[in-house]
Amino acid sequence: MKKNRLSDSIWVFGDYRNYFQNRVTLQLIAKGKELAKELDKQLIAVVLGDQVHQYAMEYVAHGADVVVAGEDPGLMEYQVDTYTAVLARWVEAFKPQILLAGATSFGREFFPRLAKRLHTGLSADCVALDVEKDTGLLVQTTPSFGGELLAEVVTPDHKPQMATVHPGIFRELPHDPDAFGCIIYPEIGPLPEIRVKRMRTRPQQTHDIRLEDAAVVVAGGIGLGSKELFGMLSELADLLGGDVGATRPAVYAGWAEEERLLGQTGKNVRPKLLISVGTSGALQYTTGIQGAETIIAINRDPNAPFFKIADLGLVGDAVTVLPLLLDALRKRV
Amino acid sequence: MEIVVCIKQVPDVPTVRMDRERMTIIREGVESVINPLDYIALEAALELRQKAGGHVCIITMGPVQSEVALREALAVGADQAILLTDPDFAGADTLATSHVLARAIQKIEPFPDLILCGMQTTDSDTGHVGPQIAEELGLPQVCGVNEIHREGKFLVVKRLSDGFVDTVKVTLPTLLTVTKGLCPVRDLPLGALEAAFSTKDVLEWNMTDLDLKKEEVGFAGSATQVRRLRTPPPRGSGDIIEGPPDVLVGHLLRRLEALSILDEEDEKK
Amino acid sequence: MRLEPTMKQAVIRRSVRKFSERRLIAAAVEMDKTEQFPWDIAEEMAGLQYFGLEIPATYGGAGLDSVSTAIVIEEISKANAAMGLCISVHNGVAASPVYLFGNAEQHRRFLNPLAQGKKIGTFCLTEPNAGSDASALETNAIRDGGDYILNGNKVFVTNGGISGINLIFAKTRADGKDLGFSVFIVESEREGLEKGPIEDLMGMRGNPVCPLSLRDCRIPLENRLGDEGGGLKIALSTLGGGRLGIAAQALGIAQASLDASIKYAKERRQFGKAICDFGAIQDLLAEVGTRIEASRLLTHRACDLREKGKKYTMESAMAKVYASEIAVEATRVGVQIHGGYGYTKAYPIERFYRDAKVCEIYEGTSEIQRVVIARELLKG
Repeated sequence: MKKNRLSDSIWVFGDYRNYFQNRVTLQLIAKGKELAKELDKQLIAVVLGDQVHQYAMEYVAHGADVVVAGEDPGLMEYQVDTYTAVLARWVEAFKPQILLAGATSFGREFFPRLAKRLHTGLSADCVALDVEKDTGLLVQTTPSFGGELLAEVVTPDHKPQMATVHPGIFRELPHDPDAFGCIIYPEIGPLPEIRVKRMRTRPQQTHDIRLEDAAVVVAGGIGLGSKELFGMLSELADLLGGDVGATRPAVYAGWAEEERLLGQTGKNVRPKLLISVGTSGALQYTTGIQGAETIIAINRDPNAPFFKIADLGLVGDAVTVLPLLLDALRKRV
Repeated sequence: MEIVVCIKQVPDVPTVRMDRERMTIIREGVESVINPLDYIALEAALELRQKAGGHVCIITMGPVQSEVALREALAVGADQAILLTDPDFAGADTLATSHVLARAIQKIEPFPDLILCGMQTTDSDTGHVGPQIAEELGLPQVCGVNEIHREGKFLVVKRLSDGFVDTVKVTLPTLLTVTKGLCPVRDLPLGALEAAFSTKDVLEWNMTDLDLKKEEVGFAGSATQVRRLRTPPPRGSGDIIEGPPDVLVGHLLRRLEALSILDEEDEKK
Repeated sequence: MRLEPTMKQAVIRRSVRKFSERRLIAAAVEMDKTEQFPWDIAEEMAGLQYFGLEIPATYGGAGLDSVSTAIVIEEISKANAAMGLCISVHNGVAASPVYLFGNAEQHRRFLNPLAQGKKIGTFCLTEPNAGSDASALETNAIRDGGDYILNGNKVFVTNGGISGINLIFAKTRADGKDLGFSVFIVESEREGLEKGPIEDLMGMRGNPVCPLSLRDCRIPLENRLGDEGGGLKIALSTLGGGRLGIAAQALGIAQASLDASIKYAKERRQFGKAICDFGAIQDLLAEVGTRIEASRLLTHRACDLREKGKKYTMESAMAKVYASEIAVEATRVGVQIHGGYGYTKAYPIERFYRDAKVCEIYEGTSEIQRVVIARELLKG
């Protein structure tokens, strides 16, 4: 491996603390590889921890040309200070052109600090990455106003071009056990003292899962007509392992707490599935949910504007459909 | 405890409308508010002040109109408000913004024990400025905090991070970015608003006051540039099914199976 | 000339709007249905100084200017007209005269609890035989040593069912001599004052309006507001502010109707398009929208005169008559745009229609307002 190939390359930060983060890393390796091909560069995954060999191997199997790994007991915990120190050092040594991370909690806490230390630009939670034809710059498409507007951002005069990327946007490459790649272990250097001491850590319980993070969201609007019917949504959400959201009129009607409010004045959700019942499709609401991968709508009115953004629209009365649906699901889950 | 809270004035989301032809935000009729999470940071600072004493100072970088946000913060209960404003500050990305804010914090006497920011803003939604201020000031940072306890020279804070509930102990001075659930936002008594606008002062610092150069701030000091703005492509509508309830439920169940949310029905049953 | 709200007024509007949307909209439905006054919400509002809008901070009030006060009342009424009425009357014609005409001792005893929302106030002028013609008052106060003895009947007392402090207008007599009207501050618990049953109203049902009777009600001298025989002066000075309160309230109802109508017209589809795409609907919306804007300017202009200490008799009458008539028109048009649904209780527009009507009646009917306006126009 020539040094000049290693420098000027595209780097992906290997985020692996949980399964979900690791998937985002693999998605980014796939996308980074595509960009690398376009720019004729190498895709390099960089991974830090106390024992990272298995992740390094996995990254190679999923498309990384090279894995730059750092193993040290002092790197066992995700710590912004230590990770920033090591990665900044390596970036200065190897000078990657592009540096990507998943927009996970850690990615979004760590990368801003790293970008600042490297005195370069960073765009947040990108939903698209492209190469600009004339300049070869990375065009980072980043949402603002809760996804109402997309900004195409470039970092023309600073290196590396850094971005955190929204999970689930890109598709990972299949695992290829025969893939060839090399793993290198550059010198880590001294680690800074730990100033943020972890006292306890526990996996999140269902009750700490924020509505924003739920894979399935069942949302209800004023069209449900009664608090009792709205209440059925909780059982539906439970059966599907999800959580309940509400539109503004439903919250005003006292059917749901303010914390469940979806939309412009409430929460933005991007679940795998959103089931929306008795919601007409007011913009204030739809802006908060249009990031959902699949939207299923149930509404009496076949002309409800909400059907326009639904992947599956069921024209029917919730009064009859919901109990039937709950019955069917109770038998099956 | 001396606390600095960094706030940003953002368009009030319910009033924001898009000009879909020109791909811009319609500014007319848009109200500006304190970014909701910054508001929580402010309330949290006041709660800490109540327990530990000290002062709460609010800073914001923005055009002169941002004074409104600072006055509202004074109405909520902040002791001091500083507006960082200069025509050259315009067009700043998070790198340049954090530089101005960090420089201002260094100028505040005494240097704060705690700096609080909202985890994200509702407009640009980056969440960068907090960690970048911490980096420039050489302070530790914890992002997304939803519980704060003071233990002597330390803060014990809790936050949700990637599916884990972390409880960490951090030395002071430090910077925290905060999120929903940390503390409630109270309604404002009208008299407090009246007083904040008629009797309180807002300090103003410009580029010279902060000993900054033009190339460090605003558009010139930014590493990123916005090439263009666009609106996301509209979602296409999918299948619309009409029919009796059992047919509708059948369609729904099949879609759940297709999405692997529900296992395929056991044929043998 | 400034025709825009100040930074402060804009923030006050937003602040009150957020509170009202969160706490008052749902309550409006309940209040209309049950006729129960929500004390818990009123207590919250007291904490936010909604009961002492223009009263200085030394008494626990908010110390707002008149335009801000109108903005607060408009926003509350937009969400909940019955609550807007409570706040409007309490501030405009109860707390305000006690502040303006009360002595230090009366400020301590009556203004503090009023401004802090610990007591709700009423203004009792109207009687069974004295409405628009206030000279026909029959309630009388007869001097008896250091006290007055009050006898008479008051009707349609807004806030009557929830009041703690009542301003009673009565003819004063001493030693058989007629001394003109005086105003008495009568606590609800005072012996001889009795509240009648709550009226079954067409609209504003959340506000407990009731008659009030005085039977040999003994009032100490210290409870007389202003001079003996000074009632007319108090009434005239108070009614101007009262009219502005009603104008602001009507404005809120009109704006709520327009907002609801626009929303409905955008959502409701007929003949394959949203009904807001039809010219006939657009005409209705345009007309109402224009008149609401005009009425807001009239109201704020009159408030500005009041704030500057200038005469605003005609301007407040103009604001009141115009705003209350546009409220009725906006709600009528609103029901029309909502069609059949507008005639049901599924939408709030029918309540707005019922709530709006009384704005043309109380605090001086539209007819009386026009008399006031004409008199001013023809002066000199």
